[in-house]
Amino acid sequence: MLDLARATSGSVLYDGLPLVPETLERIAYVPERSVLYDWMTVAEHIEMQRRAYRKFNLKRAHELLAQFGIDLRKKARALSKGMRTATMVALAIARETDILILDEPTSGLDPINQRHVLNLIINESARGATVIFSSHQIGQVERAAERIAVIDRGRLALEGDVDDLKADRKIVEAILPSENFALNGIAGDPHISRLDRNGRVVRALTSSDAAEVLARFEALGASGLRIVDLNLEDIFLYAVSPSDATADVVEGQ
Amino acid sequence: MPVVLTVDPRSGVPIYLQVIEQVKRSVALGVLASGEQLPTVKQLALDLTINPNTVAKAYRELERDGVIETAPGRGSFVRSNGSIETTKTAATDVARDAIDAAVREAKSIGLHAEDIRTLASAAIDRWFREDA
Repeated sequence: MLDLARATSGSVLYDGLPLVPETLERIAYVPERSVLYDWMTVAEHIEMQRRAYRKFNLKRAHELLAQFGIDLRKKARALSKGMRTATMVALAIARETDILILDEPTSGLDPINQRHVLNLIINESARGATVIFSSHQIGQVERAAERIAVIDRGRLALEGDVDDLKADRKIVEAILPSENFALNGIAGDPHISRLDRNGRVVRALTSSDAAEVLARFEALGASGLRIVDLNLEDIFLYAVSPSDATADVVEGQ
Repeated sequence: MPVVLTVDPRSGVPIYLQVIEQVKRSVALGVLASGEQLPTVKQLALDLTINPNTVAKAYRELERDGVIETAPGRGSFVRSNGSIETTKTAATDVARDAIDAAVREAKSIGLHAEDIRTLASAAIDRWFREDA
């Protein structure tokens, strides 16, 4: 989107049109690594942003930096990693853009300031801005994000609405009548995306109809049937861990 | 207004469902009185640190279920007309879900319908002892 990398698939459109330089005025980007100038003070960074962007809200910038307790007279090199992140986030939000792209916007921050950044993201979203943020902290994503995309080793592993994923992805657990009980056709069930079996206990990951899967196990004479909710971490781990050969192992006797 | 809602984002239960369940419960218990105003979408999102669209989704469903009503520009309120009905519906919804989960669990560990019925009446007798 920012022309930092070339797409391997798809294309980047803004309001249905290809990106032009003016579009960048409506997008704010905070990289994970500091792009502040070490020898410049925070106040000088504010001034630079004010001159660069017509919509820059000076009052809001001062307000946000004060919320983080940042001393405007300090040179960037004197700020901790977390305070540099906070400074960049504050300056980006003060631009009041339509789109905010934040790469690990809470890195280096203590829990209180991390929560504050999340609330700023929520506030931006409530104002109508689109916020795209990356994080390794699933708890933050679970709170602040509406839609997620999980990237595993550069590959898109999972994508969707957080609440929909939680509503759809369930584990159906069942206890089979015997250890070598044959699961006739169950592994091929389109509702089941993964089967793990350990002795008599079988756990099926479903991404659509847990009740239907439960009924199938029940029809086979399984007991101890239970539908287990999955949080985003569980869903994430299932999405990135290989589901190798479960089908043929399970079907065997 | 002090609305005491909490959500557990790490739970496997979608956050909007947690919000719906808690608002219904608060209405059933009278913590949220009829006609009372709910926090705005933005305010509740910030209070709970959750996505505003998640709150909006919960409010939309609560409105569809007849628990709250939204007046454009004024906010969302616990439905005032037919408030007894609203409270009863909310209470029934909450109780039905709890009983449903308990019966599902009892069935899954191998109890038969008759065993579960016996347990249920024993529980009713225990909790309604004074009424007898």
